Amino acid sequence: MEILIYGAVTSAIYAMLAVGFTLIFGVARVLNLAHGSFYALGAYGTYVLTSIVGLPLWLAALLAIAGVSVFGVVVEKALIRPLRYSQLGVLMITLAVSLVVEQALFLIFGSEYRNVPAFIDTKVSIGGVDVAGQRLLTLVVAVVAIGALYLFIQRTRLGSAILAISQDAEAAKYMGIPSDRIFSLVMAISAALAALAGVLAGPFLSVQPSMHLLPIVKAFAIVIVGGLGSIPGSILAALMLGYAETLVAYLISTSWTEIVSVLATLLTLVFRPAGIFGKRAAF
Amino acid sequence: MNEPPLWGDNIAGQGDSMAIHSWRVPRWSVRLLASLFILLGLSVSATVDAQETKPIRIGVPTSVQLQVGRDTLTAIKMAVDEVNKKGGVLGRKLEFVSADETENPETGISAIRKLVADEKVDVLIGGYTSGVTLAQLPHIAAAKTIYLGVGAASPSITNKVKTDYDNYKYIFRVGPINAAHQARGLVDFISNFVIGELGYKKIAIVGENAKWVQDLLPVLSKGAKEVGADIRMTELFDTQTSDFSPLLAKIKASGAQYLIVTVSHGSSDTFAKQWHDAQVPVPYGGIDVKSMDGDFYNRIGGKSISEVAANFAVRAPLTKKTIPFFDAFKKLSPNYPVYTAYFAYDAVFLYADAVKRAGSFDTDKIIKELEKTKHEGIAGEISFDENHDLMTGKGKTNLIFAQWQDKGERVVIYPKELRTGNFILPPWMK
Repeated sequence: MEILIYGAVTSAIYAMLAVGFTLIFGVARVLNLAHGSFYALGAYGTYVLTSIVGLPLWLAALLAIAGVSVFGVVVEKALIRPLRYSQLGVLMITLAVSLVVEQALFLIFGSEYRNVPAFIDTKVSIGGVDVAGQRLLTLVVAVVAIGALYLFIQRTRLGSAILAISQDAEAAKYMGIPSDRIFSLVMAISAALAALAGVLAGPFLSVQPSMHLLPIVKAFAIVIVGGLGSIPGSILAALMLGYAETLVAYLISTSWTEIVSVLATLLTLVFRPAGIFGKRAAF
Repeated sequence: MNEPPLWGDNIAGQGDSMAIHSWRVPRWSVRLLASLFILLGLSVSATVDAQETKPIRIGVPTSVQLQVGRDTLTAIKMAVDEVNKKGGVLGRKLEFVSADETENPETGISAIRKLVADEKVDVLIGGYTSGVTLAQLPHIAAAKTIYLGVGAASPSITNKVKTDYDNYKYIFRVGPINAAHQARGLVDFISNFVIGELGYKKIAIVGENAKWVQDLLPVLSKGAKEVGADIRMTELFDTQTSDFSPLLAKIKASGAQYLIVTVSHGSSDTFAKQWHDAQVPVPYGGIDVKSMDGDFYNRIGGKSISEVAANFAVRAPLTKKTIPFFDAFKKLSPNYPVYTAYFAYDAVFLYADAVKRAGSFDTDKIIKELEKTKHEGIAGEISFDENHDLMTGKGKTNLIFAQWQDKGERVVIYPKELRTGNFILPPWMK
């Protein structure tokens, strides 16, 4: 029972991170190494707006997510777009962004852990398992956010445009779809999802300058296992990884969890380079 | 020029191995070397004159991004100012320069190199992470510079002094008491307080997977069993761990009545928050270095309530210097000092006194005087064993256990003679 619940929460956070990461790759073919920075900025943004500015938490969270979303669009327009022709160029520039963000947080806030307040401070018991309310909230919000994203892509005109570009960017362009504007939109969604994960997980995971590493490593592992560019693949892989880590922590030792994602990546690359749902090998 | 015979002497003096290779030194290089020697000689005689007045430089390698590092620097500044106000040491003023050693051995080595090679410091005072200090040791030894450690607890550091005195005699640990002594302090706490007073025999032990814990854990487990504890589980976690919920669930399931932790580099903040939010029905305490920070309670929103964190000194009359130091420090910093601060403060005086007693700046003479140290420090009397390690025991430095209570107040609950209040349970266990 413990494994069921804790695994679901971990999976939900991973899914929020991986879906945004895979979305921007699937649509714009951008491998965004700064994805973890969006997560970090979401958490730090909430910290600054609540602890220093003194705003109420819900407002601070919304502002932080909106701010990060705008930041994502700026990064896409100013830095990634000029280098879009080169995969390597995009990798380098997004890596640079993530390092700049990390160092900036380090200089401004120091390397200590910061406290992001929780939305819910009470404990909930489900079937004899004590779970912090914030974790359950994270699970619920993640499911809602990813569900909404799915509906948006499947049911709206803009969503169809996103799908069209991800299937064949060239053809979509000839159909009159403004691909640059769609890229910005996708970047905004992707950044907002990562920031949302940061805001929700910040209160119970650690908030410090190098916190962007964990999401980027996990997101990478998940999209490789699930298939780069495949959203259902990411969700399935997020569930697998979340539960695998919880199982290992439970049955073996907490010090072994970090190796799970690395091992999963390695096995997938060796045995099924395209991932579970991938149509072709990404590398 | 008289140099060539000198060269000849040297080569002959180096024995047969040199002769086998039949060394032939080109004439131009002899001249070059000779002129270099003369130049060096001139500059040495110049510095001898200047040494009378030039300040003594203290190098401070520490993690300046962390509370332990910032407090080290504040305390060293306090000590340096006090010594200088009284006229310095043998007519020379003190000054200090710091280098960030982070928690990473590579950066730690660069910090030592910067201090000894570029800054040319006379003595090093600092340290925090045992793994970093261990990596620095060969470089400190090679630089033949006295190192007064104030942060790292691994016994392996001072064991080097015992196994290779000639190379490592420069290393002293002014604080904290080493991990093995800390383990014994924890065992005393378990035996006399957790079992003796609270009556909790079922105990869980968790700690981070780091050098000092690996040194501490065997002593702790063995000792706890000997005093009658029923150890329900022992587990180490990675210092990068950010989700402790499976671990906390296991602790709850183990049926333990009290949880002993040993954490320094791991995320104590996250651990306390998750423990609180899941309302784990097991009170906890132990060695939790980040929980020694004065602002720990407030920065995690009060979620460390009822946690017991060991410290080496608190604002109590441990020696006649303790309270004045804590109060003076509080004027310069928003919080009371963490342990590195009072050991760093003591270290400056230790060094100054040793130089005065030696009556010279000769490193070997200073080391001999440091070995004889009997100094009344902030946390207790400071004296060294044959490994240059801080001694513990009555009147010396010991572990003091303080509990976080309402509004972030720290209440000493053990040892009994220093007690300032009663033990409380977490709010959800009342």
